[in-house]
Amino acid sequence: MDEKKSFPSPLKTTRREFIKAAGLASTALALPTFIPASALGRDGAVAPSERIVVGGIGLGNQGGSDFGGFLGREDVQYVAVCDVRKKVRDRTKAQVDQHYKSKDCAAYNDFRDLLAREDIDAVHVATPDHWHALIVTEACRRGKDVFCQKPETLTLREGPLMVEYARRYDRVVSGGSQRVLEDYRGTVNMVWGGKLGRVLSINVQTNNLSHACNLPAEPVPEGFDWETWLGPAPWAPFNSKRCDGNFSTVENSWRSYSDYSGGEITDWGAHHFGGATFAVDVRELQPQEVLYHPPEGGQKAHLEFVYPNGIRITHCKPGKSNLEVDSNENETVPAKPVPGYKGKGGIIGDFLYCVRSREKPFRDLQLAVNTMSLCHLGTIAYRLQRSLKWDTAKLTFPGDAEANRFIDRARRQPWQL
Amino acid sequence: MLEQAFEALKTYDYGMDRHVLDPIDQAAVSTRNDPAARKDLESRLLAVLQSNAQRDARDYVCRQLRTTGTATSVPALETLLADPDLSHMARYALERIPASQAGQALERQLPKLNGQLKVGVISSLGARGQGVGLLRPLLQNPDEAVARAAAIALGRIASADACKALDSAKPRPALAAVFADASMSCAEKLLASGQAKEAKAIYQRLLRSNPPKLIRAAAERGLTDQTPG
Repeated sequence: MDEKKSFPSPLKTTRREFIKAAGLASTALALPTFIPASALGRDGAVAPSERIVVGGIGLGNQGGSDFGGFLGREDVQYVAVCDVRKKVRDRTKAQVDQHYKSKDCAAYNDFRDLLAREDIDAVHVATPDHWHALIVTEACRRGKDVFCQKPETLTLREGPLMVEYARRYDRVVSGGSQRVLEDYRGTVNMVWGGKLGRVLSINVQTNNLSHACNLPAEPVPEGFDWETWLGPAPWAPFNSKRCDGNFSTVENSWRSYSDYSGGEITDWGAHHFGGATFAVDVRELQPQEVLYHPPEGGQKAHLEFVYPNGIRITHCKPGKSNLEVDSNENETVPAKPVPGYKGKGGIIGDFLYCVRSREKPFRDLQLAVNTMSLCHLGTIAYRLQRSLKWDTAKLTFPGDAEANRFIDRARRQPWQL
Repeated sequence: MLEQAFEALKTYDYGMDRHVLDPIDQAAVSTRNDPAARKDLESRLLAVLQSNAQRDARDYVCRQLRTTGTATSVPALETLLADPDLSHMARYALERIPASQAGQALERQLPKLNGQLKVGVISSLGARGQGVGLLRPLLQNPDEAVARAAAIALGRIASADACKALDSAKPRPALAAVFADASMSCAEKLLASGQAKEAKAIYQRLLRSNPPKLIRAAAERGLTDQTPG
């Protein structure tokens, strides 16, 4: 059976018929007690029954931004919020209710309760990184499409498992870096347009890795489910700076600490490596080797990722700037069209378009995982201070027991991947 | 410097400057090609693990043993699997220590544990890819969390025996979807290793069980993936 033909065109059918054909259960939506014209699809609005039903998990700094992006879409019906902090739940529920002039938005502490709802089509996830794999796999298993913020993974083992679930349940799963397409256009257009000749390498600049956290204990605030915030990460006492969602990768934020994040090499690496792999068109590949260059002449250590097609991506190469390309301009390379988003409204619009069309989004999870492989391989090379070989088929370090220890980490019970 | 760091480790606790332990972190890297120095490092870490040092200090030791521990560390780590505070960190090391003794320790303690500690050890066995004989009977464990964990672990392992264990299991209704998911994980691995007939049998069994739409669609896709042309 041709799988594409089994899905009726979203342009010719109602949303309910489409989603039913996609094999998802759907229950009646709760409607507001009055029915404005917009709810009936008049005045150009999208009727609620035609909207994609969305919930949000992790609604702090970046999650709050994504929340606004989804809530503001006319083709979205936002029905549920989930966060382990009651004040965040209360605030975002109030915003949803205000938006729809109703009291219908549900608020959950436990993401599993949100994912158990059969009426929800898709979720957006912006928890700290250590939760991403568990939530994305469970969401796929529950039949939800997922928009997952970057960095999409915390370890090398997580990415392939997440892709397994996405493919098994035929879910649309998008990574969250809007910068891959939007920030590096100049370089992308030059390379794809053939203006730089044959690319030899491209450089990425990020700073520090994450590190241990040993902050002192503080009382857990009222309404903060600290046990769930930690989830699969090792137990530690609550400290407001340990779990703060500010964008620092140096100190006093979860992005700084290795139990929850990889630091700047993942937090900004997800963007910059994503842009680099896009620019030199190796998005669908992973490197087969990481060459570690030790510190020399006052310069820090730097890395070189070697791809099967000969292209190299360097990290913090001395004398090179971010996304700086080395190429042989004397070799002619034909121009090729640059892929972009589908639908309207940036990366969120692309995701929602694909929820309807069932195509892979621009930042399909596999592409995001390939990007994250650079971040994690690089981290391991820096921690071990040596070069590594990477088997891109088996996704292990061949014959390297020491490096293989870093591929994953045991999760705190009862959480299991 | 290393001496001072180990002295600080004895009383290390939350709120202390984490940098006092930097020399131990550095020694973990610098001793890689010096077996005698690495052995000495491990024994000093174990001394702290087996002392009455604070939880934080022992947590740190387990993190170091994850990347530097050998079979020598296994007995001390094994004793912590029943400790509600340190069981996870003992697994943090045991799950990643390549020596077979680490997996054997997990297998030995599995029958002695209950509840969440048991779930944790099950997940670590799944991650190590071993313990099918012990996990199989747990599919029918009266503790739903244990049965669930066993199914997930067997799906991860996806060996021929793991696939058979899931094939013959009769899940309670609340776990039917989890068991089906684990079975499909097995089928995918079988397909990838060229055992299409065995994979097909799993998908057909799932379809015969009158599954929910999502699982039906996944199983049908799995069958379709095997059809030539």
